Amino acid sequence: MNLSFGLYLILNTVAVLLVAPLFVSIIKKVKARAQGRSGQSVFQIYFTLAKLLKKETVYSSHSSWVMRLTPYVSIAAMLVAALFVPLVFVPEPVGGIGNIILLLYLLALARFFMALAGLDAGSPFGGMGSSREMSISAIIEPTTIIVFAALVFVFKSLNVFDMFAASAAAGAPSTPTLILLAISLFIILVVETSRIPVDNPETHLELTMIHEGMILEQSGKNLALMELSAAVKLTLLMALLLNLIVPFGLTTTLAIGTIAVAAVLFVLKVTVLAGIIGLFESSMAKMRFFRLPSLFAMAFFFSTLIIIIEVFA
Amino acid sequence: MIAGLFIISLGIFVLGVLLPLAGTWQDRRIFRAGSHLCTIAGSILLGALSLFLFLTGNDIAWTAYQPVAGFSLSFVIDRLSAFFLLLISVVSICVALYAAEYNEHLEGGLRRNLLSGCTNLFILSMVLVVASANTFSFLVFWELMAGCSFLLVMYDYSRATTRKAGLFYFVMTHLSTLFVLLGIVLLFSSTGSFVLAPAGVSPVSAIAFVALLIGFSIKAGIIPFHKWLPYAHPASPTPISALMSSVMLKIAVYGLLRFLLDVFSPDVWWGILILIMGTTTAVLGIIYALKEYDIKAMLAYSSIENTGIIFMGIGLYVIFSSYQLFDLALISLLSALFHTLNHAIFKSLLFLTAGSVVHATHTRDIEQMGGLIHRMPYTAGLFFVGALAIAALPPLNGFASEVLLFISFFSSIAVADPLFKVLLFLCLGLFALTSALSAACFVKAFGSVFLALPRSPESGRAEEVPFLMLLGPALLASACIVLGLFAAQIFFIAGFTVPMPDMFLVGLLLLAMLVLTFAVLFFTASRDVRVTDTWGCGTLSQQPAMEYSGHGFSEPIDIIFSTVYRTKMKNERTFFDQKNCIFAEGKAEIRLIKVFEEYLYLPVARASYATAETVSRFQSGCLDTYLLYVFCAVIAVIVFLGWLA
Repeated sequence: MNLSFGLYLILNTVAVLLVAPLFVSIIKKVKARAQGRSGQSVFQIYFTLAKLLKKETVYSSHSSWVMRLTPYVSIAAMLVAALFVPLVFVPEPVGGIGNIILLLYLLALARFFMALAGLDAGSPFGGMGSSREMSISAIIEPTTIIVFAALVFVFKSLNVFDMFAASAAAGAPSTPTLILLAISLFIILVVETSRIPVDNPETHLELTMIHEGMILEQSGKNLALMELSAAVKLTLLMALLLNLIVPFGLTTTLAIGTIAVAAVLFVLKVTVLAGIIGLFESSMAKMRFFRLPSLFAMAFFFSTLIIIIEVFA
Repeated sequence: MIAGLFIISLGIFVLGVLLPLAGTWQDRRIFRAGSHLCTIAGSILLGALSLFLFLTGNDIAWTAYQPVAGFSLSFVIDRLSAFFLLLISVVSICVALYAAEYNEHLEGGLRRNLLSGCTNLFILSMVLVVASANTFSFLVFWELMAGCSFLLVMYDYSRATTRKAGLFYFVMTHLSTLFVLLGIVLLFSSTGSFVLAPAGVSPVSAIAFVALLIGFSIKAGIIPFHKWLPYAHPASPTPISALMSSVMLKIAVYGLLRFLLDVFSPDVWWGILILIMGTTTAVLGIIYALKEYDIKAMLAYSSIENTGIIFMGIGLYVIFSSYQLFDLALISLLSALFHTLNHAIFKSLLFLTAGSVVHATHTRDIEQMGGLIHRMPYTAGLFFVGALAIAALPPLNGFASEVLLFISFFSSIAVADPLFKVLLFLCLGLFALTSALSAACFVKAFGSVFLALPRSPESGRAEEVPFLMLLGPALLASACIVLGLFAAQIFFIAGFTVPMPDMFLVGLLLLAMLVLTFAVLFFTASRDVRVTDTWGCGTLSQQPAMEYSGHGFSEPIDIIFSTVYRTKMKNERTFFDQKNCIFAEGKAEIRLIKVFEEYLYLPVARASYATAETVSRFQSGCLDTYLLYVFCAVIAVIVFLGWLA
């Protein structure tokens, strides 16, 4: 492991932790505006997290170490996963960091713990959330893996770092397939981060909630960790989409100037994407749970079709 | 010298068979303990020996008995055999540790001596199958293995369900032997020898391959030949379920690989056939597992799923090697082999801990369990490691082998010919689905068994199991962790270069992030903790009936895959008035169809029964009729011979 990689580990983690909450609140702001409200300040979320850290943690008397461990595992898995998706600076990959399959399964690791924590307290809300989350994640998985396979096929590498480096060198999407894949990646992003039309991140209503249901029993600093890991997940998936499709500014050299430019460009790009997600959410109603498989089936056939076109071309 | 060690380890196993049999007139623990000690000693010796042979690549050969030239019981241990012997010994050691305590709690008095002895014979037969140097001894020990396992399944023969399961298993396992026998006889007819040597390309060898494939599929539990697993596993004692599921199924995989590698020169369609069989088995296996509420039957279905994944790897190997893509073929083969080892380890871990749970709660129904994490904390922790491993989560061993299969799928897309890619894409998508569903399945299993409140009085009174019943699973759990973290290094030591991500580094990073987060929060955040009731919308006391049950958990998946389950719902209502407003009475019914049993097994059984009926009419018992038959036969022979001349 060389110096630049070590530096990358620290910088990327700090950067993700700093900006992740911001992007969540940008989406919220856009949604509020779309609904005709002014919405809270985009920096409010930092105060909320700080407040949660100061509060006491409440555990159910029926809960076990699963509940206590989950927030830590969740944030650790997300932060390691975030290392697999460089935000602005792409170093040489070391020892399989950046492997796209490992990235997917790190997300699965966090989900596994979260679903168990949902069941731990014995609350019906948690169980409902866990059950739905595991079902949804299972049926979106084929689409995700097909899209990832297509990325591997287009970039001829299993590693996200190599993919980013290649797309940074090209400067713009190298094939039309990539642009079409962006649509599939967007669907995956919406599903994985529990957004409308799959889940509603705003409510605690038992009819709609999935992700919120699972973390209903979390409180205090544990809740802060869960919120933060959800934000990190959103950021890393957005970075994956953006750095592949619009790699402007992405740099492979470790120089302060280029990195500063890249960072500014990155925040701009993500803000635009967050705006799109906000508008997308505002223009849509949440789907009935059992209508989702048909949506996913559509996404699956769409991505398979793209790949087959690419393959036969 | 090394061959001598092999013979000594076989001798120890034989001692383990004889010792409890010698003590059958005395129901004393010492005989059984001695027998288990023999298993452990023999397995350690065999394991060390096979590890040495596997790493150095040396072969050993030994001819035990040769009555006639051409027929011999002879053994060869090469690298492939050494790998499977290592697998058998690792699992046997841990299972024997567990059984030494578990078997003492079984009912049956003296029969427990027989159980210990027969378990040793079972392990011995599997060792000998793997070490067999020719098809003749392969078949002999294959049949010994089938017989032993049947006796072991029938341990609790006083129950009707066990007898039914045993009989079902007996029929299926002999069907398997029948097909293997057919394959071996066909090979003998085409090559003229029992030696495991290349048979060349001919229609006969293709038919022999299909026969062997069916034979091994029945034993390995490939759908549609899988039905014996969910019957036999719940019926047999836990150590036996663990051995059957994690080792005996692998012996079938070994058989398939041995014949594919040494005897046949596979064609592409063989690979496609194996791949499709594997994919259907994997997907359907896990979908059925999600529906099960008997914990052992659920694990049995999950074994079916994992065997399917192993078959996918083998199928890809055959396809790639017939396309001359040897690098990819190697990766696929390694993924299949590594998954074989990993599945053996985490599945025996899961079976043993599930057995502990059943022992403590006296039920196999996961809906009757719950809250055991507080009452059996060590068992819960061990089961948790197994669940993480089987759900293919990094950095444990289940992920290590599945990632290899993913990699070989991903790289194959770049090279295979176009029409083929569509098939590969479909299989890849289904494989991803399988893997995600197995995570859902084990969230359900762990959640229902260990978390929340106990749902029956027995579960509320459950106690942690004794030390030996924890030691065996604990060894397996550490193997899960080591094989996962050091997967890349293990491949390096074994002499293979694979594009495997360094899981140790990832594990370290995970740990570092965990510790850092904990440290930062410890110093910055509030440390106040309050323990109180679960929030229940204002209800005063929380009841177990309020929590999410296992059935409820898998309900969305049941509905999404209802076409696969073929659930039949009937709803009949009668009303007093003509506008159907005042309800009089009604009947609602939900029936789960056992698809394979009702549409495949029973028709075949009925057809063979009907044939037997027809044939039995000839057996009138009357001497005159038999004389007429003989007379007709003689006439027929004369006519036939005359026609030939």
